[in-house]
Amino acid sequence: MRLALTALIIKEFQQTFRDKRMVGVLVVVPLLQLVVLGYSVNLDVNHVPTLVADEDRSVQSRELVAGLVAGDAFDQVGELATGQAALGAFEHGLASIVIVVPKGFGERVKRGAPAAVQVLVDGSDSNRAIVAQNAATAYMLGRAVALAQERIAQVARQRGFVPQIRPLRVEPRLLYNPALDSAIFFVPGVAATLLLIVTLIVTAMGLAREKESGTLEQVLVTPLTPTTLILGKTLPYAAIGLVDLGLVLAAGSWLFGVPLRGPLVVVFAAGLLYLLATLGLGLFLAAVVRNQQQALMAAFFVLLPGMLLSGFVTPIENMPTWLQPVTALNPVRHFVEVLRAVLLKGASFSDLTSQFVALAGIGITLFGAASYTLRRRLG
Amino acid sequence: MMPTVVEVQELTKRYGSFTAVDRVSFEVGRGEIFGYLGANGAGKSTTIKMLCGLAAPTSGRASVAGADIAREPERVKRSIGYMSQRFSLYLDLTVEENLRFFAGAYGLGGARRDRRVQAALELAGLTDRRGTLTSALPGGVRQRLALGSALLHEPPIVFLDEPTAGVDPEARRGFWRVIRDLASQGTTVFVTTHHLDEAEHCGRVGLMVDGKLVALDTPGGLKATHVPGALYAVELADSRKMRHELANWPGVVEVEPFGPRLHVRVQGELEDDGRLEHELKHHGHNDAVVSRVEPTLEDVFLALVGTGRQSKGAA
Ligand SMILES: Nc1ncnc2c1ncn2[C@@H]1O[C@H](COP(=O)(O)OP(=O)(O)OP(=O)(O)O)[C@@H](O)[C@H]1O
Ligand SMILES: [Mg+2]
Repeated sequence: MRLALTALIIKEFQQTFRDKRMVGVLVVVPLLQLVVLGYSVNLDVNHVPTLVADEDRSVQSRELVAGLVAGDAFDQVGELATGQAALGAFEHGLASIVIVVPKGFGERVKRGAPAAVQVLVDGSDSNRAIVAQNAATAYMLGRAVALAQERIAQVARQRGFVPQIRPLRVEPRLLYNPALDSAIFFVPGVAATLLLIVTLIVTAMGLAREKESGTLEQVLVTPLTPTTLILGKTLPYAAIGLVDLGLVLAAGSWLFGVPLRGPLVVVFAAGLLYLLATLGLGLFLAAVVRNQQQALMAAFFVLLPGMLLSGFVTPIENMPTWLQPVTALNPVRHFVEVLRAVLLKGASFSDLTSQFVALAGIGITLFGAASYTLRRRLG
Repeated sequence: MMPTVVEVQELTKRYGSFTAVDRVSFEVGRGEIFGYLGANGAGKSTTIKMLCGLAAPTSGRASVAGADIAREPERVKRSIGYMSQRFSLYLDLTVEENLRFFAGAYGLGGARRDRRVQAALELAGLTDRRGTLTSALPGGVRQRLALGSALLHEPPIVFLDEPTAGVDPEARRGFWRVIRDLASQGTTVFVTTHHLDEAEHCGRVGLMVDGKLVALDTPGGLKATHVPGALYAVELADSRKMRHELANWPGVVEVEPFGPRLHVRVQGELEDDGRLEHELKHHGHNDAVVSRVEPTLEDVFLALVGTGRQSKGAA
């Protein structure tokens, strides 16, 4: 048993490192993906191209617009004569947001009458639209409060009072990720999905290839037990997976300044349970497919929901209610949660009991099911 | 007879409604070279796979080295070597890496492993090419390497599924020398082949037709049973016309054209030396040259496949 297992593990490493493509898949691709995703997936909404249709052209309207585009959030890219032109501007991709100040705005403000401003947002990129809309609304509210204060002060002075106005002040302070830097938020997700891709594809394809080429048959006539075979086919890739995890975290810290606030051992303990699930899944696919092509197809069918239902791309709260409980079965979700909690919040084992229980449960179930199926199929 | 090491009773394998192996029974003795013959799709590989524990029989039973294939597959695996019809060592490993891996899989370690790997390298003639990638080896050498690999753990029984397919005649002779040596040392060899001339090396030959074992005997016994009488090669000027005439002679069983000559199988008085030539001259064929030929397994095979087809058609 020990001799056979050692022989299997040595053989897997020999084959893996002989194949230059495999080295690429296991080491280079994860790092490359991290860099590409880290730099391109940017959830920060800044420098939103903004068009202004100032139909009023009063002091008040100019003040309003100047204040809006003063910060980093909105960049004025031009002016429109009327609000009517907004649609055309969106269609040509000239702007993501159009501010329309209707005629009479300044006059109404001066009078203290209700005055409206129209904010048109291009909703085709919904994430960006929501953030831009929120930012614009917040600014308008701020302006409204300021105008109200001025007006109250003015009225008070006319009547001989000294106004003392202390409006409610909101001071948002973001914890854990103060600069709202999306790379920091994304690296854990990228790490989890990369580990899934690498281990799932490598195990499923590896065994499928042996089926296809007939070498599996030659192995199966030896007295080697199915358990040994399963261990020999997974331990090498579990080791490589953990190395990949370390690489991705190191690269994330070096390139994007992702912190490590909690104990590393928690990350790797969760990683090990997570790999139990992903390798188990790979073995299961390998047991049911006939060849490498089917293995690859099956892997993609698993990868997509695995990634999409992890909370990495779309927050789980934003999914349909019926779908939300399904994500509890997704190991990617739990591993992403552990990574985010440990890296960004410094969480430790005691804070993550439910995630660890879930990962262990899913891992043991998947690996067990895979071993059972493989035993029966390989007889 | 030698003690039995492979015992097969009514072994059957069905794939859906198709019967690949149909109630096959036979026994193989220790140290015997047992040849398994049959056309493509006759069920040879399927039989071997069941005996090696790679496929579960639909019904029937078999034991290999005293272990039941269904109940104790692990014990069976420890006593057999298997060389599959398709080359199935790792093409992306070197010769030595392959051998060391399979030695390990058979549970060999330490000095014994080194010794057995060395023996396999010598058998394959690859002692100075141990670092060569297996994919770079020519077909004949690959087959010898696969044989060496199947013998790493010195199994008492080896199953060789068409070991000489695609191997040149010279290399085939070398291969059969190895097989005979193995058998003389007490190893039981179960071998399938397409080459009927190779079957002459076997102690006994089983003939598979459409999943059924239709004949089983020594090569000599098969010929005596299925190609009875005597076989003569006849050279005549007008062989085409004489073919039909001869077929009607009493005592002539079969007339087959064989190149420019006729192969004439006779029974009874015509079997006697010189009798056929005498009769031909008596009928005015003074140019007739008659010589005795030994029947081959090819003749047996033709005779049997013919009847196999008939019985199938009648059923
Ligand atoms: N897994 C399978 N599923 C369905 N049919 C199969 C399967 N394996 C073999 N067969 C069929 O069983 C029959 C016997 O196949 P087998 O491989 O035993 O023949 P063979 O005598 O070894 O032929 P060959 O000389 O071509 O190797 C063939 O018709 C084959 O198509
Ligand atoms: Mg075959």
